[in-house]
Amino acid sequence: MFVFVVRRVLLFFPVLFGVLIGTFAFIHYGPGDPLSIMFGEDDYENDPEILARLRKIYGLDRSFFVQFGDYVCGGLCVPDARNEGIIRGDWGKSLRSQRDIADIIQASLPISAQLGLASFIILYTVFVPLGILAAVKQNTWIDYWIVAGSIAVNSVPVFVLGPMVMIVVVLKLQIMDTPVGWEGLFTTNSILPVALMSLGGALGIVRMTRAGILEVVRQGYVRTARAKGLRERMVISRHIMRNAMTPVLTGFGPTLAGFLTGQFLVELVFGIPGFSNAFISAFQGRDFPMILAGTMLGTAMWIVSNLVVDLLYGVLDPRVRYE
Amino acid sequence: MADTVEESGVQPAAERPSLAAEFEAVKQRSLWMDALDRLVRNKAAVIGSIIATIIILMAVVGPYIAPYDYLRNDFSRIAEAPSWDHWMGTDVLGRDFTSRILNGARTAVFVAVVVLVISVTIGVTLGATAGFVGRWVDDVIIRIGELLSAFPNILMAAFLSVTMREPVTIFLADIYSKTEWGILNQRIYIDYFMMFGAISATEWVGYARLVRGQVLSLKEMGFIRAERALGVPQRMIITKHLVPNAISPIVVSVSAGVGGVMLTESTLSFLGLGIQPPAASWGNMVSENLTRWRYDPHLVVMPGMVLAVAVFGFNFLGDGLNDALNPRAIQR
Repeated sequence: MFVFVVRRVLLFFPVLFGVLIGTFAFIHYGPGDPLSIMFGEDDYENDPEILARLRKIYGLDRSFFVQFGDYVCGGLCVPDARNEGIIRGDWGKSLRSQRDIADIIQASLPISAQLGLASFIILYTVFVPLGILAAVKQNTWIDYWIVAGSIAVNSVPVFVLGPMVMIVVVLKLQIMDTPVGWEGLFTTNSILPVALMSLGGALGIVRMTRAGILEVVRQGYVRTARAKGLRERMVISRHIMRNAMTPVLTGFGPTLAGFLTGQFLVELVFGIPGFSNAFISAFQGRDFPMILAGTMLGTAMWIVSNLVVDLLYGVLDPRVRYE
Repeated sequence: MADTVEESGVQPAAERPSLAAEFEAVKQRSLWMDALDRLVRNKAAVIGSIIATIIILMAVVGPYIAPYDYLRNDFSRIAEAPSWDHWMGTDVLGRDFTSRILNGARTAVFVAVVVLVISVTIGVTLGATAGFVGRWVDDVIIRIGELLSAFPNILMAAFLSVTMREPVTIFLADIYSKTEWGILNQRIYIDYFMMFGAISATEWVGYARLVRGQVLSLKEMGFIRAERALGVPQRMIITKHLVPNAISPIVVSVSAGVGGVMLTESTLSFLGLGIQPPAASWGNMVSENLTRWRYDPHLVVMPGMVLAVAVFGFNFLGDGLNDALNPRAIQR
C-alpha cells in the first residue's frame, strides 16, 4: 500500500512534466506572438527594431529550452532569468492584465473550489439515491421518469438552462434578485450556480448507479442474502450497494477534479469570478502564461483525484490489493 | 441516421395468421427488423426520432422556407415580441428570429454530420487497425487517443480553435488565391472548417476505442471460432457476424454523438470560439442576446429551447437505439 502510493506520487512528476513541456512547446511553436497580444497587433508590427528590443527585454529571443528552463526553475537553471520559476511558485504574469498569475489563482481558485465542492456533495447525495431508486423500481414509471428526466436535463446546456431558470425565478416568480457575482457560498447568489453544476453531472451518476446495481442484483450472493431472510433494506445497503458503488467511484475523481477547478459555463452565466472563468477568458484572449498555469493546475488536480479514487477502491473492495 | 432506420421499416411485420407462420416470421426477421420493432415500441425513442427528423428537415429546407433573409436588419423593428409577420420576433439588430433559427439548424446539423463522418471514418479505421494488428501499432494509437482525451473535449476544442484559426485562415486564403474557389473566401466556411477540425480532433477517440474493443473481443468469441472451425467462408463470417455485432454500438454512439457534437459546437459558438456572428448558430444567438434576458426573455429562450429539444431528441433516439440493438442490456 505504502509502496503503491509512493510509486504513484513519483509517477505524478513525469506526467506533469510531460504535459508542461507539451503545452509549452505548442504555445512556443504555435501561432500567435505574445508581444502582439501585449501591445496590440498593429503598432509594432512594422518596426523590426522595436520588436527586436522588446523580444530581448522579455527574453523571447532565447532558445526554446532556455525559455522553458526559465519558466520552470528561473535563476536556478538559466542565467539571466526573467522569472522565479514555477517550482518557487512564480507562474509569471498574465499577458493581458500584467497581474501575477499566482495572485489571480489565489483570488479565483477558492471561489471555484467552494462552489465545486458544494455541487459535488449535492450531486452524489441527490443523484446516487435517485439512481438506486431507478434500479430498484426497474421498468416502472419511476425508473422511466428518472432516466428520461436526467437525459432531458443533460441535453440542455448550462448557458441555456441558467438564463431560463433565472427568467423563471427572477422575472416570473420574483423570489430572488438577479443572482450575479460572488458573495460567499452561503448566500442566495450561490443557490442557482450550485444547483446547475450538480445537475450537469446528473445523467452520468444516475446511469452508472442504476447500471451498477442492476448488474449486482443478479448475483448469487444477493439471492443468498434474500434467501436467508435479510430485510430488503439490509440487502440493498449491505450487499448490493457496496458492490455496485465501484463503477460509480470511477467517476468520482474526474468529476471532483472538474468541479473544483470550476465549470466555466456556470461561472460565465452567473458572472462568478472563479478560476475557470479566468481560464476561459485566457483562452479567448490567447493569454498564454495563464493557459499554461490553468492546464498545469487542472492536470495536477486530475491526477491527485484519480489517485485518491484508486485508494478508495481498496477501502470499498477488499479484492483490490496494492502491490 | 433516423431516416435510414425509419425507411427500412416501411414493410411492417407481416400479419400473423397462424402460430407456425408467426414462428416463421420471427425466425426470418433480420437483426435490423428486430431492432426496429423494439425501437417503435419505445415511446421515448419514437419521440426522439420524430424530433431528429424535424431538425434534419429544418436544416435541409429551412433556409429556403425562411420568411426573411436571416442577415437583413430592420432597424425600425428591434427586439420585438413574436407577432404575425415575425413568428419568433426580431433580435436586437432587427433580424427575423425565425429565419435565424432555421439557419442555425443548418449550422448545427451540417457541423454535426461532417464531424461525425470525419470522426467515424478515422475512428473505425484506427480502431480496427489497432484491434487487428495489435502490438506497437495498438499502443501508439491508444496512447494518442489517451493524450487527446486527457482534457475535457470542450477545452481541447477551444484550445485548437484559438490557436489554429489564424494559420488555417492564412492557409485557406493561400489556396483561394491559387484556385479562386469562392467557398474558401467566406468567413463562415472558415468557421465551419475550424469546427470540423477542432471537434473531430477529440471525437474520433471514442469510436476508435469502441471499434478496437469490439474487434478484440469478437476475434476471440466462441461463435466466430466455431464458424472458422466449421469452414464457414471468411466473407460470410465478416458480413453475417462480425459486422452486425460491431456496427450496432457504433450506430448507437453516432446517434448519441449528434447531440454531443451539437452541444460542443453551440458551446464554442456561445463562447465566441466557434461560428462567429453574423452567421447564425444557436449558441451564438444565445450569447448575443444573453445580456437582454431580463427585457426580452424570448431572445434567449427560443434558440436555447430549440437547441435543447434537438439535443434531447438525438439523445433519446440514441438511448432507444441502444436498447433496441442491445437486447441483452434490457434483460439484465
